[in-house]
Amino acid sequence: MTAFLLGALGLLLSLVVPGILARARWPDRAPAAAVLLWQAITLTGVLCALGVVLSAPEELTRTSGRPIATAALIGALLIAASIVLRLLWSLYGVSKRSRARREKHRTLVDLLDRAEQREELGVENLRVLQGALPLAYCVAGGQGRVVLSDGVLRILSRPEIDAVLAHEQTHLRHHHELVMESFTAFYRAVPRPLRSRAPLDAVHLLLEMVADDAASRVAGPAPLKAALERLTDAVPLTEDVAPDPKGDARRRRLTRLGSSHHRSVALDTVAAAAALGLLVLPTVILVVPWLHAALDEWPLR
Amino acid sequence: MALGDLEREIMARLWAAAEPLTVRQVHEALSRDRDLAYTTVMTVLDRLAKKGVVVQQKADRAYRYAPAQTREEMTASVMLDALSATPDQDAALAYFVGQLPPDALAAAIEAARKK
Repeated sequence: MTAFLLGALGLLLSLVVPGILARARWPDRAPAAAVLLWQAITLTGVLCALGVVLSAPEELTRTSGRPIATAALIGALLIAASIVLRLLWSLYGVSKRSRARREKHRTLVDLLDRAEQREELGVENLRVLQGALPLAYCVAGGQGRVVLSDGVLRILSRPEIDAVLAHEQTHLRHHHELVMESFTAFYRAVPRPLRSRAPLDAVHLLLEMVADDAASRVAGPAPLKAALERLTDAVPLTEDVAPDPKGDARRRRLTRLGSSHHRSVALDTVAAAAALGLLVLPTVILVVPWLHAALDEWPLR
Repeated sequence: MALGDLEREIMARLWAAAEPLTVRQVHEALSRDRDLAYTTVMTVLDRLAKKGVVVQQKADRAYRYAPAQTREEMTASVMLDALSATPDQDAALAYFVGQLPPDALAAAIEAARKK
């Protein structure tokens, strides 16, 4: 029974809930808590899978003879271990590759930096690239770098530049790259037919919103909104790029920066509580009683 | 002076020069207005060569150093790396507005260089 319930919960969390949450618009009003909720959903999904693997063989063989029960237990432990190893291996690979790419990139932007322009702006970890193509991004790791191109400095006003800088510094300060790396690793570890980009894309957009919120607290929402509009107009972003099929992300970020949009503390609280509940409740309600029963029958004793 | 600043300045000298420079030439140019050890310049050039951004050539029993790419080429390749979405979305960099599809990317960089 435990295995069945855990399996049902796991399927719900990995196949049904992500679709619903990805389509919902309330996370725009509580992006940080929504990221937490995505993390809880993903992690609980994994825990459910492990729970099924461990409890199902035991439940099915509880009344069988000892050799069968023992074999089932060993098989279950092996499968559970392989799931955990696959996840860890994926995380290791993703973070290693990202780190290498970032390190190489950091070396080059440090060498290409137009120091005169950077000193004018007075930002220590800023690097300015020569080139009219408007470009603004950050490279995490080490001290972290915010990279702007000449093009950005030319088309944005000083308050708008400050807003963009505040946005990028937030990514660096809050280590958003680690959140993205963990979701990427999970995405890659899931077997292909079951994979879904929904969590990855949703979390990516939510992290942008978190950075937007921090930037608009420092620099005001108006300059940030103006910067976002100007940069997206200047860069010929085709709206059908994979992560953003409908140009939806930009519209949602702009709407949030409008005057009528408000962050919601109540939503923050509810989403954070839901995240915590997801992680704790299934364990307490399902796993603990099963463990109790299973240990009484432990075949390797 | 921080090592990073020195690396950047040495690269700027190499990019500005019409031909490959010897350690002595770089050292002379940089030590005009400051106290800088010859061996420091040599070490930094060696490091840059190891990183692959500078190439070492031997001519007349002296090593000469030249940038592996022009500043424009290197800038373009950095921008290309920054803007191209890797297939596995490795989440290495965070962008303010987003990434470009590969074909639009080449066009954008080309357009930017012409301006």
